[in-house]
Amino acid sequence: MERHFRSILIVLGLLLLQTAFVPLLSLGGMVPDLLLIWVVYAALRRGQIEATIAGFLVGLLQDLVSIQLFGLAALSKTIAGFLAGYFYNENKTDQTLGTYRFLLVVGLCSLGHNIPYFMIFFQGSDASPALATMQYTLATTAYTIAISALPMFAFSRRLAT
Amino acid sequence: MLERLYNLFLQFREYVLLAGLVVLSFILLSLNDRPQVKQIRTFATVAMGVVQNQLSFIPRYFQLKGENEALRRVNVELADEASRLREAKLENMRLRSLLGLKADSDMPLVAANVVSKNLTLLRNSLTLDAGTADGIQPSMPVLSELGLVGVVIATSENYSIANILWNTDFRASAKVQRSRVDGILAWDGQKLILKNIAKTLDVKAGDVLVTSDYSNTYPPDIRIGIISSVREEAGSLFREVVVTPSVDFVRLEQVFVLTAVPDSERVDLETRVIQMLNP
Repeated sequence: MERHFRSILIVLGLLLLQTAFVPLLSLGGMVPDLLLIWVVYAALRRGQIEATIAGFLVGLLQDLVSIQLFGLAALSKTIAGFLAGYFYNENKTDQTLGTYRFLLVVGLCSLGHNIPYFMIFFQGSDASPALATMQYTLATTAYTIAISALPMFAFSRRLAT
Repeated sequence: MLERLYNLFLQFREYVLLAGLVVLSFILLSLNDRPQVKQIRTFATVAMGVVQNQLSFIPRYFQLKGENEALRRVNVELADEASRLREAKLENMRLRSLLGLKADSDMPLVAANVVSKNLTLLRNSLTLDAGTADGIQPSMPVLSELGLVGVVIATSENYSIANILWNTDFRASAKVQRSRVDGILAWDGQKLILKNIAKTLDVKAGDVLVTSDYSNTYPPDIRIGIISSVREEAGSLFREVVVTPSVDFVRLEQVFVLTAVPDSERVDLETRVIQMLNP
């Protein structure tokens, strides 16, 4: 119960950061996705089922406070949580979190998140949906991987001590 | 049987959960336009906004210097632009007095500015700054230099409301300029359609559409738009003909109201025939 309550507080804090401060870090309109990084962390810590549910709920929360399509973030974060769950191994959690493997997992899940997200997002727009999806997917994935290095270094220091 | 199903479910529970949540997400996507969803989102956005407002001083502090420089630059540019705009205004006033469309046209036209517009509803309209004091009455057509805009539906002394082509109540008798095929122009909420076009009629994408001779409201040969697509409808005798209007309603700022009154003899005769056929 305490663990869930702590998770809720962390998610709300990350949601606040994502909506209020992360746009200040925007590069060419692209921003990293902090909530996705948390979903991957939850998957590596707790397994596929919890991560899938967490992804859905986190995405739903994000949809509530954004002006984009309601349900879109829920869909894509559900997929991301499910994909991240494949890398769950209770014996190697700390090793995964504190090494470059974490960046690889974040990258893969970010692709799994961004492809359906932008494919649906750009439907009906004047720009070519396929090209726009590819551009935004690759750029956002790269930025999210870069930002996920920060928690990775934090975990690796904790592992070293 | 049930036990087997249960074991199957346990074996693939992650996939079952994924499928269930994906389906739920698609259901939520389909509910986007529901008022209840919008209300919940509004509440959540407002709540988040209140919290963000309390913390907004943090990014503001870091942004101040850059913001200051940007504002000074903008200030200089705006002062220069204001000076150029004053000159442009004077030139505009001179050119308006020489306005070609009104001078060349045989039709009695009253110029009006668009002071308000609705473009996102099912019944879209414009508010014009000309009314009965300028000789405008309901059912008078509204035009621009690019073509047909709509029809006046209500007037006050100094203002009028006009339904535009993007209005589900709008109807106009139209014809294809090239092949002289007639149809009825209407808006279905998403696109302009030329209705009653049988599959045997000669209509192609790229054809220009104008008002026809059969309308009491609109004079003939006023440009309406271009046919953008012609699609065969399965199980129907008719085609779906989609029209792109010539007028850009988003950028529309000035219009003309045609203050000619329809031929009263024709209107009376047609009204009497309708009453005769529908006692």
